[in-house]
Amino acid sequence: MGLQRHRMVQGQEVAGMRGPSPIPTPDPVLTVNGLGKIYGRDDAGTIDRTGSDAGSARDPITGAIVAAWDVNFEVAAGEAIGIVGESGSGKSTVLRCIAGDLEATSGDVRLSTHMEGRSNVLLADPATRRRMRIDQLSVVYQDPSEGLALSVTAGGNIADPLTAAGVRSFAKIRERASELLSRTEVPLNRMDDIVRNFSGGMRQRVQIARALANKPRILLLDEPTTGLDASVAAGVLDLIRGLLEELDLAAVVVSHDFSVIEMLTNRCIVMHHGRVVESALTDQLLEDPHHPYSQRLVSAARA
Amino acid sequence: MTVTDNTTNRLDSLGASGDGPSFAILDEESKREIRRALLQAVAVPGYQVPFGSREMPVARGWGSGGLQVTLAIVGPDDTVKIIDQGDDEGVNAVNLRRLVVSSTGIPETTEAREASIIQSRHRIPEDELTATQTLVLQVPVPEPLRGIERDVRELARMHAEADYSRMWVSLYEDKVRNGVITQSTGYPCLVNGRYVVATTPIPRWDIPRLHMSQFLTLFGAGREKRVYAIPPHTIVEPLTFDDVPFEVERIEGAACRLCGSTDSFLVDSSGEVDSWACSDTAWCRARRSQG
Amino acid sequence: MTVEQAVASAAPVREEDGLILDVRELTKEFVLHNIDGRSVSGLSGVSFRLSAGEHIALAGTSGAGKSSLLRAIYRTYKPTTGNIFFTLEDGNTIDLVGLSDQEVTMLRGRQIGYVSQFLRAQPRRSALDLVTRAGVYRGMGRDEARDMAATSLRRLNIGEHLWDVHVSVLSGGEKQRVNLAAGLMSPPRLLLLDEPVSALDPENRESAIDLIAELSQSGVAVLAVFHDLDAISRLATRIIVLEKGTVTRSGPTDHILPSLTVGDVQP
Repeated sequence: MGLQRHRMVQGQEVAGMRGPSPIPTPDPVLTVNGLGKIYGRDDAGTIDRTGSDAGSARDPITGAIVAAWDVNFEVAAGEAIGIVGESGSGKSTVLRCIAGDLEATSGDVRLSTHMEGRSNVLLADPATRRRMRIDQLSVVYQDPSEGLALSVTAGGNIADPLTAAGVRSFAKIRERASELLSRTEVPLNRMDDIVRNFSGGMRQRVQIARALANKPRILLLDEPTTGLDASVAAGVLDLIRGLLEELDLAAVVVSHDFSVIEMLTNRCIVMHHGRVVESALTDQLLEDPHHPYSQRLVSAARA
Repeated sequence: MTVTDNTTNRLDSLGASGDGPSFAILDEESKREIRRALLQAVAVPGYQVPFGSREMPVARGWGSGGLQVTLAIVGPDDTVKIIDQGDDEGVNAVNLRRLVVSSTGIPETTEAREASIIQSRHRIPEDELTATQTLVLQVPVPEPLRGIERDVRELARMHAEADYSRMWVSLYEDKVRNGVITQSTGYPCLVNGRYVVATTPIPRWDIPRLHMSQFLTLFGAGREKRVYAIPPHTIVEPLTFDDVPFEVERIEGAACRLCGSTDSFLVDSSGEVDSWACSDTAWCRARRSQG
Repeated sequence: MTVEQAVASAAPVREEDGLILDVRELTKEFVLHNIDGRSVSGLSGVSFRLSAGEHIALAGTSGAGKSSLLRAIYRTYKPTTGNIFFTLEDGNTIDLVGLSDQEVTMLRGRQIGYVSQFLRAQPRRSALDLVTRAGVYRGMGRDEARDMAATSLRRLNIGEHLWDVHVSVLSGGEKQRVNLAAGLMSPPRLLLLDEPVSALDPENRESAIDLIAELSQSGVAVLAVFHDLDAISRLATRIIVLEKGTVTRSGPTDHILPSLTVGDVQP
């Protein structure tokens, strides 16, 4: 698509603009096309009766909720894309449909790590999708209890994905867990403490360590610092930013907070009532938002 | 006769033996249903097969599952041995044996070698069992993941996908907390490389004898309405880390105060300090009489 | 490699006229949907060309559109109409206006550099690390980038005792110099400078101006906004004067400079 299109400039074709783009962009690791999630009974008119223009995700006739519709984006290795919007805009729904936590109503999601991207993972059976979560795609949730077993030690939480991937050496598990915890700045003397006794910021660091256990190519972050004290959040953000740069991950960052999006992403999409209303470079969204909703969102954040 | 033939014959032929409705308490329909479940269990080693557990003249949780399995497979040519711990004279073992013998008229024995069906709760006899023998274990909790997950649908999913990482996490946590894996009885084992089973409540000592055994092992859980099986010549691996060896119970320097054995499963004897005795009383007696 | 060598090898003057940037009829209008859908003009019909080794200074009163033009070229603003033709390293010409977001991110930091007076939001990272990363991003080996980062920081008088300090705790002037060092690492073909020396004390300002001058001499095309006439007179080869988003005058520095007042270079 992006690579194939011809660029017509004021009716004349520019030299060197024919065919593939002269600016090579890396192949996507994650490709999302036409992703949608509808709750409840919909009919042929539901899509037209909902969305940003309609002012609601709820179909006034059937009562169906169009939580997300027609969402498209690509993420390459070493790239982070943001999904911005208020709560209820559908941004977390998109993330959860990609992760397999929710069943999408429609769409096509491909991972370069799964059958070399030849297969729509939304059609894969649940067991296959869960296996992808072991070493291809990880999620960091806002609520650590979604991504961690709170009654298990920090090390044990990391042992889980490692053993799921077939690691059977106790020493290797210990070694990898220490490595991950020191990278995420969790004091090693807390490795054998149960996570319930950890502070919010520390839980989030353990969750990140666990997410990275089997070196996934794709990392989905759902409001990773929301709910943390500002100074704690800043530290966790620093950590995530450093990891994204170091590990060549393809990342999706869902947040309502522009400072998070600005810190972590180069590009982003804005969602409103389940629809993507704008897709932009992150600095462009902040300096020159186009859609009325984006402008409202940005000016509210600036205030 | 090959082992497989023996197993199949045992499961197959009994229903048609024409022994009348009163043989072995259960009616033929019930026996057939249990045997169908057992066939499925043998076909898919380690898989827990649901069955319609009957009311038995013993309370559920007191060996009613094992009893139903025994009654479903027993025939007029069988000889039974029933033990509880290792002792044939345990109260529950005696009750169960009386039930089986009185309802079938078959002979009973305390000698493991003489029995064609051995029903037990806590032990596998010390004598090596052979291809013509069937071991029936009474299981209180057939679900090895019970301590980890309570939701039955999630449990079914975990088994279906062989998703046992949380079991490994519990072993990891055990080792971290205690320096060793402390789980003693009912040690979880991977059967045929596929299903994790509860070996509850036999001690670790008996686990290696399930691996590539000559005999068929049938597990019956009456309260939980499940049967499962380890067919002969099946790989049975206790779950453990590659670098944390699985070890059976051994007490340094301990020997049976009666027969002097140091290579049998010993239990604390008569409450005295450092006084040990064989848990398998029949085996111990035989050893003594041989001198 | 030293800064000088890297500078010399990074952006060779190429082709006939070494044209790097060809801006045609560039217009930017902001539609403020939440203020009655009002439209505000930022740039209107701006055209100019910039070649390798040239240094164009943008002048004009506050709000004339100097920073807007830099941002439109960098695609922080999305142009409304017009073209921004840019000659790539491989000689191909593309229109920055029509590029996909992903293509823009591939050019930024590699072929097009942007240094503003403010350090963008950065994690708590050391000065040396931050500058080194800019070089790695541009495609340098880690060791090479680190050596060059050290040289750049030294040239800009950032003492070694500050290299390991998180940039967030540095003074405004120090931050600006770190930012400049990062922006100048393995310099791009086109460098956009938005008041890069505004917060510097006289001595550090001199080092920064010297460094920018060297870049131009080595073939980097520079488009800059300064808020003092002295920097313009020493660095610019040409001056473009903007007024209300339109080019009103342009020409060689010595033609235009005498007519400029302090008000023409106010931020």
